[in-house]
Amino acid sequence: MLCSECGKNEANVHVTHIINGKKTESHLCEECAKKNQAILNSNFSMENLFSAMLNNAFNNKTVLPAKGCSNCGMTYDAFRNTGKFGCSHCIDSFKTRLMPVIKNIQGYDRHVGKIPKRAGGNYRVQMDIERLKSDLRNAVEREEYEHAAELRDKIHELENKMKGDE
Amino acid sequence: MSNLENNDIVVTSRIRLARNLKNYKFPINMTHDESDNVIKEINKAINTHDKNYKLTYMKDLSDVQTNSLIENHIISPALAKKRDDGAFLLSPDQKVSIMINEEDHIRIQTLGDGLSLKECWNLSNNIDDILEENIEYAFDRELGYITSCPTNIGTGMRASVMLHLPALSITNQIDKLLYGVSQLGIAVRGVYGEGTKSIGHLYQVSNQGTLGASEETLIDKITQIVMQIIDKEKSTREHLMKNNYDELEDDFYRAYGLLTNARKISADEAMKLLSLVKLGSEMGITPMVKGKNIYELMICIQPNNISTIEGTDISIKERDKKRAEIIRRELLR
Repeated sequence: MLCSECGKNEANVHVTHIINGKKTESHLCEECAKKNQAILNSNFSMENLFSAMLNNAFNNKTVLPAKGCSNCGMTYDAFRNTGKFGCSHCIDSFKTRLMPVIKNIQGYDRHVGKIPKRAGGNYRVQMDIERLKSDLRNAVEREEYEHAAELRDKIHELENKMKGDE
Repeated sequence: MSNLENNDIVVTSRIRLARNLKNYKFPINMTHDESDNVIKEINKAINTHDKNYKLTYMKDLSDVQTNSLIENHIISPALAKKRDDGAFLLSPDQKVSIMINEEDHIRIQTLGDGLSLKECWNLSNNIDDILEENIEYAFDRELGYITSCPTNIGTGMRASVMLHLPALSITNQIDKLLYGVSQLGIAVRGVYGEGTKSIGHLYQVSNQGTLGASEETLIDKITQIVMQIIDKEKSTREHLMKNNYDELEDDFYRAYGLLTNARKISADEAMKLLSLVKLGSEMGITPMVKGKNIYELMICIQPNNISTIEGTDISIKERDKKRAEIIRRELLR
């Protein structure tokens, strides 16, 4: 069998990926396999897979200028290789390119959990309301009407609180 | 279904929160001085509220001490690699550990017995609030808590439950079940986290995603799935009891016989046998083990835990002898 990547050499590295239940197999020659660090790395951790996904996401698009993070100077290349941010500002520097990848791996692209107090009181309440609304929809779907009524009251309470603050 | 029975199957619960300081570069990018300052800031933040936390620098620990902390689930294997820059704060009851400069600046970890994710979350949440009073976290309105690795972004929370699933393992149903669970956004790992294998039929089940759901929702989801796994394990135990009693009884007594008579034993063999004895006791077949905490014994016979008690220069052979002695003493007590 010939390598599925270069189609030149005999394939002697066989890799099976199961991502979100979808099984894909690739048969590579040693040279192509070496190019793909994630394959050679026997530790198929979430982080390694993520880094591999980043590589794919970036490679499929046009080549990006090698401009790094405005705060810590970490470049895309460095981020791609490690899959780790260099500082809290990297996320802004890479955001537009990152969002599709994050959505791909996490299944979502919006935080609905805890918010630090410093991020602003009203914003926190607003997020709480959004979260409760989503819980309410779930409760109605599950026909848990008593719980739904409690949630509805809580939402009203918070909405009134927001109005009071304005 | 009593809680006590569930606690036989769910041995421990754990919540881990990943947080970073806004004004410092992340651990992958930090200088030694910067990491030292991060340690000092976090230590100060916790100390203004609670002076009982003990700060330990990784550089002050021997290999055996470090590995023993991993075996006891107090620190992660990743922190152990941060010899120069890592540290951790530990509560007196050892239920809370705050790892510093691991993959993220802060990893708050709370441990509880049985299925206690909600209690662990409340505790973690509380500590998180305390730290936040004195520390400005890296937070993005859209993406939540910013972590070093995008796989932890959002809540930064990993909720995990340690399950003892011997019946599902012996009947070869475990792989199928775990595959099914992984389809639901749940990760299954070995006893010591990512990349580690299952020993003694112990499995760690945790949330895969950290974004797009609240902490409570994630915890509810895992709890529901864990309850289903418990039901499967229980029904398999009942099935075994009905159809394979003679074989099981023989297996359990043989395991007990070996454990109470062996003069040297490896950790692998001991874990397998202890898992059987634990199951036998829970099924009421080997009553002499009742009331003993077999899980605790499983942790305490890990290689570095024995070396910690016996001294670092202990040979493997000596360690296997010591292990057999500890097991005999505990089981025959």
